[in-house]
Amino acid sequence: MKAGNGLKALNAGLLAFFAIFFVLPILTTVKGAFFGPDGSFSMEFVLEVFANPIYGEGLWNSLWLAAWSTVGCLVVALPLSLIYVRCDYPGRTILNTLMLLPMVLPPFVGAIGVKAMLGTTGSLNSLLSGLGLMDSSQPIDWLGHSQMLGIVIMNVLHLYPILYLNVAAALGNLDPTLEEAAANLGCPPLKQFFRITIPLIMPGVFSGGTITFIWAFTELGVPLVFEYDRVTSVQIFNSLRDLSGNPFPYALVVVMLTCTALFFGLSKLLFNPSATGGGGGGRASMGREIKKLPASTGTLCALGFLSVIMLAVLPHAGVVLLSLARDWYGSVLPADFTMAHFQGALGHELTLRAVSNSLKYASLATFLDLVIGIGIAYIVVRTRLPGRQFLDAMSMMPLAVPGLVMAFGYLAMSREGGWFHWLRIGEDPVVLLIIAYSIRRLPYVVRAASAGLQQVSPALEEAAQNLGATPMRALQRITLPLVAPNLIAGGLLAFSFAMLEVSDSMVLAEQTRHYPITKAIYSLMASLGNGPSLAAALGVWAMIFLGVTMAGASILLGKRLGTLFR
Amino acid sequence: MVSISILNLTKRFARQTVLNQVSLEIEQGELFFLLGPSGCGKTTLLRHIAGFYEPDSGQIFFGPHDVTNVPPHERHTGMMFQSYALWPHLNVNENVAFGLEERSVPKSEIDHMVRDALEMVQLDGLGKRRIAQLSGGQQQRVALARALVIRPQVFLLDEPLSNLDAKLRLEMRSEIRRLCKQFGLTGIYVTHDREEALAMGDRLAVMDGGKIMQVGSPMEVYRHPANQMVAEFMGETNLIPGTVGRPCSREGLHDVETAAGVIRGRPSGDDFIPVQGQQVLLSIRPEALTFGLVGDTPNRFFGHVASATYLGSTVQYQMECAGGVTLKMSELNPMFLREPDGEQLRMMVSTRDVVILRR
Repeated sequence: MKAGNGLKALNAGLLAFFAIFFVLPILTTVKGAFFGPDGSFSMEFVLEVFANPIYGEGLWNSLWLAAWSTVGCLVVALPLSLIYVRCDYPGRTILNTLMLLPMVLPPFVGAIGVKAMLGTTGSLNSLLSGLGLMDSSQPIDWLGHSQMLGIVIMNVLHLYPILYLNVAAALGNLDPTLEEAAANLGCPPLKQFFRITIPLIMPGVFSGGTITFIWAFTELGVPLVFEYDRVTSVQIFNSLRDLSGNPFPYALVVVMLTCTALFFGLSKLLFNPSATGGGGGGRASMGREIKKLPASTGTLCALGFLSVIMLAVLPHAGVVLLSLARDWYGSVLPADFTMAHFQGALGHELTLRAVSNSLKYASLATFLDLVIGIGIAYIVVRTRLPGRQFLDAMSMMPLAVPGLVMAFGYLAMSREGGWFHWLRIGEDPVVLLIIAYSIRRLPYVVRAASAGLQQVSPALEEAAQNLGATPMRALQRITLPLVAPNLIAGGLLAFSFAMLEVSDSMVLAEQTRHYPITKAIYSLMASLGNGPSLAAALGVWAMIFLGVTMAGASILLGKRLGTLFR
Repeated sequence: MVSISILNLTKRFARQTVLNQVSLEIEQGELFFLLGPSGCGKTTLLRHIAGFYEPDSGQIFFGPHDVTNVPPHERHTGMMFQSYALWPHLNVNENVAFGLEERSVPKSEIDHMVRDALEMVQLDGLGKRRIAQLSGGQQQRVALARALVIRPQVFLLDEPLSNLDAKLRLEMRSEIRRLCKQFGLTGIYVTHDREEALAMGDRLAVMDGGKIMQVGSPMEVYRHPANQMVAEFMGETNLIPGTVGRPCSREGLHDVETAAGVIRGRPSGDDFIPVQGQQVLLSIRPEALTFGLVGDTPNRFFGHVASATYLGSTVQYQMECAGGVTLKMSELNPMFLREPDGEQLRMMVSTRDVVILRR
């Protein structure tokens, strides 16, 4: 299709947007890591990260956390996705939908519940001493000794859906005749799995694994709630207090970014599509026959799914209990229930402002996402403009760049005396937060919009132009209505994730009156009195909210919801 | 190299019966075709023979052995898939070697056999290529080498040529037939392309709606279709309704009264003896009609040219005949075109080319 000047301008504008709000923050951070306060180049800050035992340990811990979280996700996701794609068992469809539930349950909120249950005076210890298995005067500090384990478990329970979706999609796309050909040539079923199936779904496993690894590597909320400061993400967060002139936070961020980029590049190199002959297992040339399991095995499978889901929901059930408890101390379950915290949460000065702040930031960010997302999708799908592949790749990059790095970059970019200081209107982070939120969640909107545009034949738009509609009118009357479900779904996802964005909020909102929900929850938790209960109540409100929007998105997108997380 | 017997095979998917009491005898070393429109059950039948489906009832024998419940990897068949099903993560050599490795053939022998197999399909030197680097025709040859290198006892082909262009298809036809005969393979070939079946097959079965309509040699099935479906599926034909008249004096022939006059033909199949007054259909192939003189037949049509289509090797006429009957006829190697000018022409057809079908 011929590209008009308007489209060319849009293309240039979008590229500029990415240059300023994606590349520049990263570059500023990188520069800060290599140039001291006096402006001289130096490698010493970055090298110091590796030399300093505290930073070194943090980095090491982050890597281990990420590795174990990814392994854990794989152990959960691989067998379950295999069963889902190949077999029929009771409740198959509903269980598959519920498997995605953890995506809507913010792990950082869940961690509050875990603390309530696993703390020294929590449910588990009360249960153990009640059963006479533990001396109540010498409680076991579960989280103290094994904070790492707690964080890994929270990460696994939150992130396994990403791998589950990716592997299930890879298995679903695998042409069944590729396995049949192996069977035909004398290969028994189990061996087929290892010689044919596993190598062919490797790209799917790795693309899911990469996202999981990076997510866990840079996770900030969960370790913060667990008060575990020996990981890089928390160290960066803590060092933000003395940003001016201190190059170490920059150096830490750069090291984190480099690790992420290395891992991302490595996985692309090792498991790029061409390494498996292009397109992995290709498109299925025929439908796969789903095996009907006998009642006993089928029930067992369903129970397997159910227990994973229950486990994933457990921390959040803890949050709900905490929010309902009048007093929960040294007992298995709260002794007395009350709705007061919900009212309290809505009445509290901090929370009310936080909710309205979040709504403002998130809706503006979503609007920005939709405008940019439609623009990018249109240019990528419908035009041959130069730079469109670059634009396409760029719009997916935020998935690979840790939120913490971006947040840090914005902070560095808008420092006093810099070109972009005006972005902080007074001390109000509203512009920065909106841009940060929207860049972070842009990939979902772009994916949703491109998927929609690809399904709408350009001939429909051409027919409208043929009948006298201007290109803009044709877009407005024909194409946009047809892709509306995709746009709404992508927008809902972007919105709900923005509402619960952790790293940007923690870093960029510095004053109480600008706190969004997540930072309000965090600061409530640290406060005395009924703070934790209020935090839990606020968390429950957030979960309800997120659940409703996700349900809406999944209804609109149907089965394609999964494609947004790949 | 075994014979294959299929006994009363029935398969239902959901509520639809895809195979309905199918029975077939396929002889050792013959290239047998399963032919039919899409959805007729031919691929399903082939996949039963390969072992990918288990029948709801019925049996399959390879020689004397009942293989109905033998899993696919123990059947020792070689299959060519419509999509080729070449593994993208393995190169050409590895694809071809796969079946030999599964049979624990020693490594040195595998190398040798793979090289021979690739040479056989004229792909020598391409062993290290990735599948994605091959053209469609080359991929097809890899699939052929992969299926044949294991010297299967049954060679199964599922529309293997449907993704190739016309010229390659012709080339591969003779290639596949040559290899089948060279190795003495019992081959079962699924296709919806009747020309392919006529050109390559020793025998063929026409299927429709999950049932076998007719089994026979290409010429038998083309010239003596068992019913209207086979007559129409195997090629262009003129179907003329009529009523059986008085028995004819000559052995095995019957006169049928039609709108275009009385036509004499023979019934389809030995078990069909038309009785006077029965409603029947006549099937006459366009190329059986001629403007020339045919001795020994009373069958004449009179009509004029309604339209003419010139196709190079033939010309096809649409003829308007008496009684509102329209006939398609084709003339080979035409020297001139007859104009649709209303001139009455005579067409004749031998009694051997008129088939009486049940109605």
